[in-house]
Amino acid sequence: MASRQFDSVPPEDRRSLKIQREITRLLSPVALSLVAFALRYGFGYRIEGLATLRADYRRVCRESDDPTIICANHLTLIDSFIVAWALGSPWWYLGHFRTLPWNVPERSIFAATPMLRALIYALKCLPIQRGGERRGVTEVLSKLAYLVSNGETALVFPEAGRSRSGRVEVESAATGVGRIFKSVPNCRVICVYLRGENQDTYSNFPRRGDRFRGSLEVIEPKTDHTGVRGSRDIAHQILARLADMERSYIDARK
Amino acid sequence: MDQTEIFEKVIKILTPYVKNQDALASVTAATHILDDLKVNSARLVDVVLEFEDIFEIEIDDDDVDSVETVGNAVALIESKLG
Repeated sequence: MASRQFDSVPPEDRRSLKIQREITRLLSPVALSLVAFALRYGFGYRIEGLATLRADYRRVCRESDDPTIICANHLTLIDSFIVAWALGSPWWYLGHFRTLPWNVPERSIFAATPMLRALIYALKCLPIQRGGERRGVTEVLSKLAYLVSNGETALVFPEAGRSRSGRVEVESAATGVGRIFKSVPNCRVICVYLRGENQDTYSNFPRRGDRFRGSLEVIEPKTDHTGVRGSRDIAHQILARLADMERSYIDARK
Repeated sequence: MDQTEIFEKVIKILTPYVKNQDALASVTAATHILDDLKVNSARLVDVVLEFEDIFEIEIDDDDVDSVETVGNAVALIESKLG
């Protein structure tokens, strides 16, 4: 079923996205390596079970070409970069570029200066103003839906913002991810729970040298509802799964 | 249901989500829900779902994009009620 959101991405925006993708691909050997280097050696982060997590992601990508949205818990400003780093090496992404997720970072933070704008442009990012004018938010969601429907992968935080309680907040479900999911036929969701051992609550950055552990699960949410209620229902199901994964994470630490 | 009745119900639904209670005292159709009443944007969906329940209507995702002011909300509900 063709979606209204696909139709609403004008041809000039489609061209812009295509150009951004190609520029990103050209720059990716340097950009991805720099990000991975910064996370590992600049911030000193390590991911426990990194090889397993990456193998799981490779397996999931191999298993199906269905449109894919990655949904993760959200505690710090750089979660999207850490999740992408956790799921694949720069070299893997070079050969499987569609699996490098598009991100929607907060415009007021990540697009505040020309240098930051250029940086995130080169990292498959579409800045969004959370809580901003609805049409602007919808425009970005439409672009994401368009990209996902065309074989790209998107990373979305279903809580919309960082969890203030430090725990997955199922009741904070935004509708954005549900809108994208409903508008892309045969879409699947990869839930990723990733957290630093010293990450007690939300923060701007994980603590320097923190060690992360994480897991991923594939789900196919379903809803009998339509409209806003359906979108919220989808987001609820995704967050409920992430909350389950969080419980497993916490239990494993005891 | 007339416009005034819808307006009053909309305000009643919005009230628990309003952070700027002072703005409620002088609320009009032109009052911006997020900017003036300071309703958290993440809670706007809860407001919309309450509109659905109270007025027994169904609101599409795209419809929400048109709701910026109290008047927009009233107009949307009015159009759904036919």
